[in-house]
Amino acid sequence: MDLLHSLYYGFSVGFEPANIFACFVGVLMGTLVGVLPGIGPVGAISILLPSTFRMNPVSAVIMLAGIYYGAMYGGSTTSILVNIPGEAASVVTCLDGYQMAREGRAGPALGIAAFGSFIAGTAGLIGLMLFALPLAKVALDFGPPEYFAFILFGLTLVGYLARGSTIKAFMMGALGLILSCIGLDWVDATPRFNFNIVELMDGIDMVPLAMGLFGISEILLNVEQTTSPEILKTKIKNLLPNVSDWMESIWAIIRGSVLGFFLGILPGGGGIIASFLSYSLEKKVSKNPNKFGKGAIQGVAGPESANNSATAGAFVPFLTLGIPPNIVMALLFGALLIHGIRPGPLFIREHPDLFWGLISSMYIGNLMLLVLNLPLIPVWVKILKIPYKILFPLILLFCIIGAYSLNNRIFDLVLMFIFGIFGYLSRKFDYEPAPLILAFVLGPIFELNLRHSLLLSKGSFSIFFTRPISAIAIILAIILFATSFVPFFTKRKEEFKSATLDEGP
Amino acid sequence: MKDNDQLSGLFWLAVSVFICIKSIDLKIGSFHSPGPGFLPFWSAFILGALAIVLVVKRIVSKRKGAEITTSLWKGMKFSKVIWISISFFAYALVLTKLGYLLATFGLLTFLFGIIQRTRIWVKVLTAIVTVVASYLIFYVWLEVQLPKGIFVF
Repeated sequence: MDLLHSLYYGFSVGFEPANIFACFVGVLMGTLVGVLPGIGPVGAISILLPSTFRMNPVSAVIMLAGIYYGAMYGGSTTSILVNIPGEAASVVTCLDGYQMAREGRAGPALGIAAFGSFIAGTAGLIGLMLFALPLAKVALDFGPPEYFAFILFGLTLVGYLARGSTIKAFMMGALGLILSCIGLDWVDATPRFNFNIVELMDGIDMVPLAMGLFGISEILLNVEQTTSPEILKTKIKNLLPNVSDWMESIWAIIRGSVLGFFLGILPGGGGIIASFLSYSLEKKVSKNPNKFGKGAIQGVAGPESANNSATAGAFVPFLTLGIPPNIVMALLFGALLIHGIRPGPLFIREHPDLFWGLISSMYIGNLMLLVLNLPLIPVWVKILKIPYKILFPLILLFCIIGAYSLNNRIFDLVLMFIFGIFGYLSRKFDYEPAPLILAFVLGPIFELNLRHSLLLSKGSFSIFFTRPISAIAIILAIILFATSFVPFFTKRKEEFKSATLDEGP
Repeated sequence: MKDNDQLSGLFWLAVSVFICIKSIDLKIGSFHSPGPGFLPFWSAFILGALAIVLVVKRIVSKRKGAEITTSLWKGMKFSKVIWISISFFAYALVLTKLGYLLATFGLLTFLFGIIQRTRIWVKVLTAIVTVVASYLIFYVWLEVQLPKGIFVF
């Protein structure tokens, strides 16, 4: 009954006009960035983050969350029609979605992606409600060793599951920790790595870092391209899947929903891993595995469901433990900190309006997305045809205004440009920026809990191994780190990635 | 692509050595009582160790057999990236002096010239429309503080 009362309270918050509007703007922006290749939810959230400073925290988080799960819906459109993923979690949808479009079945592909996303998103929210409260109660007993161990495990898993080189991902994580140390030491206020630059006394702000790494670098990567993608010229009809489509897809949607939710909880998991694993699972359990890569509807339904339910799963550790499991959550974490709110075990008790309002808004948002994504598909197709030379000035202006308006300092602008060039070069040299920003956001909590733990144990690392939860997390982190260098495991990981990606005809 | 691993690995090794030295100056402390340089030192140590692994991996794979390496910028318009990057910093230099309207107009006109081949009046007109629209939305409607420069508004 408590749950129902809380949900009722949440809907009363979610249905406030300002929050409905914020939800609508968020899911619309999310669908737009999902549809448009070249900027993903991370870039969009980074760019729009400063515009949320004037909003109340509830509306701000509702809007930013809307961008996140909205992008999962929108990403499938470009994957199916252009064979280019609108965002990373829709990579796998290209394999069968585009083939379905080539066979004249773009409508059912888009339709099942939208309905599957809706069902999975709703299922994920139910999971969030059921898991968050018990986990928050357990987390009240966590101490500095547990927090340190979880963050270490999370950073290690993000590096391990990185798309590119694991070694490079770990290097970016280490660099993120170093960057988080710039400024005044948390314990004794010793200036660290500020090189006598006054503006660096408070450290590097997350906004110019994120906007540079994901917004400016994306502009630089796009302007050096010489070709533009072609949209498949096909009539989009029969958006509502028929009975046969539903019969073939329903179990894929259910499996994708469950798998995606639990993978979303894991640090480093999220929509990308969930969609890959869902595709592999569907291929394994299918009676016609040969059809995968040639237009199997389960190859669209499963991954699209998985990446949507993963977005709900990601909120579980973020809101209850205060540990963001992926980059988007790290940005949301930063957004909440800017509003003076710290997620953690006491979050639900201290900010019930934010927690339940967010959940209810996600229900509302999922419904809005179903409406936006089906009838408005011809509109999204037209938007896909907008040349990048028109879009990039808008992206650039958002970045400039966002970075400058933070503190009205040119320094933040310069920092953003520097990180933009750094992000561009990182991607050219195959270094993924995502582990860097996750480590940067978690760095202060990581350091505080590490030093606190060592002070409690008088310098002994056994404190991390005598407490069961901390011991399990640290051992898993060590295993993951060590296996990154063992050729047997790295080969299997590469084989799995290529096997999943190269299934096309 | 793999050849660049050696270059980047050496770069990060140099960075890690620098940070380790600076961290020692900050005082690493002990495990009993970690100092301000504790986390940066060990993070830089890990960075450097991984950089060495990267470089060694590359050397070993080179010795095992020749790999076809391609330039990272083959077939890319890298000069555009350079010009755009320079324009960003030039923009930051003049923003407070010229103000948002003039500086951004200049930046966008330059960028449109780099990105697309169209007539000058199209570039100028597009830049004006974009700047004015952004000014109205952000400065007038959302009341975001933007530098005025030589203008009073």
